[in-house]
Amino acid sequence: MAERPNDEIWSPEDLLGRLERRDKFFVLDVRNRDEFERFRLEGRSPLPAVNVPYFEMLELGGKEEMLDSVIAYIERDLADQLPPGVKILSVCAKGDTSEYVAEALRRLSYPCANLQGGMKAWGNYYATRALAKEPDLAIYQVSRPARGCLSYMVASAGKAIVIDPLRHLHPYLDLAKRIGVTIEAVIDTHGHADHISGGVALAAKAGAPYYLHPYDAIHPIDVLPATIPYEFMRDGQMFPVGRYALKAIHVPGHTLGLVAFQLDGRFIFTGDSIFIRSIARPDLGGKAETWAPLHRTSLERLLGLPGEITVLPGHFSSLDEADEKGRFAAPLEDLKRKNEGLLALQRETEEGFVGYLLESLPKIVPEYVNIKRVNAGLLAPAEEDAAALELGKNVCALSQAYVASGGGRQ
Amino acid sequence: MSQAFDKLLDARGLNCPMPLVNARKEIGKLDLGQVLKVVATDRGSVADFQGWAKVAKNMELVAQETESAEGANLYVHYVKRTA
Repeated sequence: MAERPNDEIWSPEDLLGRLERRDKFFVLDVRNRDEFERFRLEGRSPLPAVNVPYFEMLELGGKEEMLDSVIAYIERDLADQLPPGVKILSVCAKGDTSEYVAEALRRLSYPCANLQGGMKAWGNYYATRALAKEPDLAIYQVSRPARGCLSYMVASAGKAIVIDPLRHLHPYLDLAKRIGVTIEAVIDTHGHADHISGGVALAAKAGAPYYLHPYDAIHPIDVLPATIPYEFMRDGQMFPVGRYALKAIHVPGHTLGLVAFQLDGRFIFTGDSIFIRSIARPDLGGKAETWAPLHRTSLERLLGLPGEITVLPGHFSSLDEADEKGRFAAPLEDLKRKNEGLLALQRETEEGFVGYLLESLPKIVPEYVNIKRVNAGLLAPAEEDAAALELGKNVCALSQAYVASGGGRQ
Repeated sequence: MSQAFDKLLDARGLNCPMPLVNARKEIGKLDLGQVLKVVATDRGSVADFQGWAKVAKNMELVAQETESAEGANLYVHYVKRTA
């Protein structure tokens, strides 16, 4: 393929930068309609987009060759929907087909770019941001921006603990190497439903123990025990890392074995309990009515922490929840005033809050039952099946806070 | 058990959009009623052939199969020329 100016091929990293800066562009997504509905590009604010599957352009364009057909289709059927003078980002599943479409747009003199590697590369892209850099403490937030998943490395005096590592291990291994630390322990705050954990694999690679609360080592729907190797974790347990230690706080509700970690009275890794704008859903174990009151008790326990403590959540649902440096972190006292779920918690009676939880449940994602099986070692998918299970953004938060922004898979 | 076909298109190792683009060209060379068997390794081709069949006026998607060969999946599509 011919050389292109840099602004005509966007890597996932370029794309994230542009989304964070709220650059104006228009998305032409040429995947099939189901894929577009399930997993689309989202920014800090809604992105204007149109979805026309490439095979429709090819067939309806009516020419023998792909490029000629796409050009004919755009000129005749799509030109009305493309905003003049705005950069068009051509998007497909893996980045090859969208390059044909980008080439057609170029020939028609539209300003355009191709998303390199397509939605697959965007979904698998990891961003690493420093949250704290002190002489004897560093905290990094490792995110998958397309999926809204957050994980952490806490490092001190040459040692590190990784919390909630995601499926691909290279971000953690590379980071540990770059900052010169040994991974001493790997912890999952809970048995995840929305993504495949990298915990067991990372622990094996690092020769470190993998910790999980035993309640989450039983698949809640199958009621079968996990087959993965793991160490039991309990409320109050201390996990030393260099000159610091993480303290486990059992906060059941989203799952029965959910554990938050407090660090030095300054940081609280909340897992799937408190997020920035919302709180976690209590229904992914299939027992929403039974677990909702537990969730409330746990949230009240967390709300009792000092207001200045920084909340480091397990998910975000919109890029707009980040601060100006792209970090998902906020003082608890701010969240008490802004977080929809915490506002409801403070406002409602027990009965009222349980009602609020049950009325705010988003759609169940069918893949989540199998993802929990994978994380418990009850199912071992091939790579492409694993990728298909994880496709799209997480739906672990209550829906209420995101209805206005159009986020989530409703 | 295998579906009958008149011509075979080997699209193994080809990335999207080539399995579908090549199949569309081959369909044009068939006689009416003949079936093209397309063997692809691109998983996305399964949904894409279904979507294509909905808009194309000269073909019908007769069957789709997934076969396992040496640890990799093969996605097989049978496409009949109808016009």
